[in-house]
Amino acid sequence: MRRIALPLLLVLEVAVLAPLSGVRSTHFLSTFGAYANDLSIQAAPILLLAFGMTIVLISGGIDLSVASMTALVACVLSKFEPGPQFWVTAIPLGLVLGAGLGLANGLLVAACDVPPIIATLGTLFLYRGLCEAVLKGAKYNPFFDVPGYSRLGELPGALILVGVVLIVGGAWFRGSRWRREILMIGGNRVAARYAAIPVGRRLVEVYTLSGVLAFLAAVCFTAHDGSASQASYMGLELQVIVAVVLGGTAVTGGRGTIIGSVLGVLLVAVLVEGLQAGGSSFWIQDRLPFKFGNLRFVLLGALLVFGVWLNTRRSGERPV
Amino acid sequence: MFLVAADAALLVFIAWRAALSGASFSDEMGRMAPNVAPTILAALGQTGIICCGAMDLSVGSILAVAGTVFGVLHARGVGPSGCFAACFFVAFGLSAYNGLLIRVLRIPAIIVTLAGLAFYRGLALILAEVASRGFGEQFTLTGDAYHRPGQMYAGWILLGALAIALWGECFGKTPRTWLALGNSETACRLSGLDPAKVLFSAFVVGGVFLGLAALLDVSNHITIEPARLGAGFELSVIAANVLGGTSIFGGQGSVAGTALGGLFLYLLGPAMLYAGVDEYWRTAVQGAAILAVIGIDCALGRRRKMMEELR
Repeated sequence: MRRIALPLLLVLEVAVLAPLSGVRSTHFLSTFGAYANDLSIQAAPILLLAFGMTIVLISGGIDLSVASMTALVACVLSKFEPGPQFWVTAIPLGLVLGAGLGLANGLLVAACDVPPIIATLGTLFLYRGLCEAVLKGAKYNPFFDVPGYSRLGELPGALILVGVVLIVGGAWFRGSRWRREILMIGGNRVAARYAAIPVGRRLVEVYTLSGVLAFLAAVCFTAHDGSASQASYMGLELQVIVAVVLGGTAVTGGRGTIIGSVLGVLLVAVLVEGLQAGGSSFWIQDRLPFKFGNLRFVLLGALLVFGVWLNTRRSGERPV
Repeated sequence: MFLVAADAALLVFIAWRAALSGASFSDEMGRMAPNVAPTILAALGQTGIICCGAMDLSVGSILAVAGTVFGVLHARGVGPSGCFAACFFVAFGLSAYNGLLIRVLRIPAIIVTLAGLAFYRGLALILAEVASRGFGEQFTLTGDAYHRPGQMYAGWILLGALAIALWGECFGKTPRTWLALGNSETACRLSGLDPAKVLFSAFVVGGVFLGLAALLDVSNHITIEPARLGAGFELSVIAANVLGGTSIFGGQGSVAGTALGGLFLYLLGPAMLYAGVDEYWRTAVQGAAILAVIGIDCALGRRRKMMEELR
C-alpha cells in the first residue's frame, strides 16, 4: 500500500487539476501533450534542487538557502556579456560560484558546528543581500543572446540535463558507499564517527553538492526565463522541502530516496501549475474574491505538515 | 560581557559620528525605541520557546496576518482600541495555535513553524483581498490615534515587558520547566512534567510577547503591505537570541542576553549608515555580521560538544 500511495495520489491530482490547465477530452492527446510539456519544463530545475535537498536531509541537515544560492548564481551569470564566449567565461565561473556558496554552508555546518537550520537561514539572507549588491537595482538579460543557451530551458535540453543528473547521478548514488555513509551520519552521528566515517568532510561534500545543483538549476531557470532579478525564486526552498518530505524523506535524517523525491516534486509541480493556470484564465477566478495563485502558500504549508505527519506516523517515531 | 562591550562600542561610535556630522545623539536615541521594541519583545517570547529546544520560524508571517487584520479593521472604520485588541489577539492566537498543532500532531516544531511561515503569509494575502474590496498592495493608516502605541509608548511598554520577563525568570516556576525540557526531555517526563504541555505553555507565553510586538510594529507603520510586512523578522528574532547566548539546542538562555542581542542588531543599522556603507550592501553586511557572531559562538562551543559526543 505504501509503495503505491504516492503514485496513486499523483494520478488523482493530475485527474483533478489537469482540466484546470487546459486539458480537454475532445483533443485529449494534443492538449495533454502540451500540459506534460509545461509541467516538465516547470519541474526540471526543481528536480535538480530536490536531488541535492534529499541528500542534505538524509544527512540530518537542511538547506534553506537553495533559492538564494540559485538567485545569486543567476544574478552573477546575468552580468556577463552575451555571445559565444559566455560558455567559456560565465558558465565555469557560475559552477565555481555555486560550489563555493555550498562550500561556505558546509564549512559553517561542519567546521563551526552551527546548526544547519540556523546556518542556512543566515546564508539565505546573506546570499539574497549579495544579489542586491551584485545587481544594484539594475536588470540584465543576456541569456537569449547566447547561442544554444535557451535550448537548455526548452523541453529536450532541460530533460537531458535533468536526466543526466538524476539517472546517472541517482544510479551512482544508489549503489555507492558514499550514500551509506551519509545515511549513517543522518541516523546516528556519534556511531558514524566511531565507525571511522569522516563526518565533517562528508557534510562539506553534501552541502557543496547542493550548491553545484543550485548552479545547474540557475542555468535551467535563466535559459527558460531569459532574465534574473534580485527577487527571483523567493520561497522556492519551501517548495523543494515540501516535495522532498512528501516523497518520504525523514526531516530527522537517516532515511530517504531519490525516486520518492521525484514523485514529490511532480506532486507539487502539478499543484502549482494547476493554481497558476486556474488563476490566469479560467472561470474560477471570477467566482473567487482573491487571487487564485495566493492559495499556493497556504496549500504548500498544509502539504508540508501533512507529509511530515504521514511520515512520522508510519515510522512510529514520536518526536517532541 | 562580550555583548555589553559590543553594544557600548556601537553606541559610542554612533554618538561620535553623530557629533561629527552635527546630528543630535538624543534624536538618534528617540528613534531607537519604536524600532527596537518589536524585535526585542518577540525575541523575549522566542527565548522561552528556544529554551524548550523548539523554535518558531513563523513569527514574521504571524506579524503579517496581525497587520493585515489591523489594516482591514482600520479600512472599515473600527476605532483604535478595537484594532489594537484584534491585532494583539490574532498574533497571540496564532502562536498558541502553533503550540497546539505541535502538541496534537507530534511533529518537530521547526517543521510546523516552517510550514506556518508560508501558510500564514498566504493567509494574510488572501485575507487582505477577501476582506477589502479593490485592495491594491497596501493599507494606509491615517489618524494619529492608530499610531500612538508604536510611536509614543513603545519604550515604556518594552521596559514594562522586560521587567515582567525578568521577574518571571527569577521567581517564576513555568520558565524553569522550559529549561528542564530543553535540558533533557526524559528527565522532564520522569520528574512528572508532561513535555507536550510544557512546550505548549512556552508557545502561549511567547504568544503574549509576540502579540505586544505585533501591536507595536504595526502601529509604527504608516503603510501595511501584507506581502512584505515582517519578512525576515524571524531571522532577526532568532539572531537576537543566539547573539544573547541562548543555546539553539535548548536548556540555556537569559532575558538580559536577548535584550542586549536585539539592541546590538538594531544598532548595526545606524552604525552602518554613519560608517557610509553602500546602500545595496547593507543586507549583505548585516547578514555577514550576524553569521560571523553566531559562527564564532558555535565554534567556541564546539570542543565541549565534541567531547560530550565522544564520551
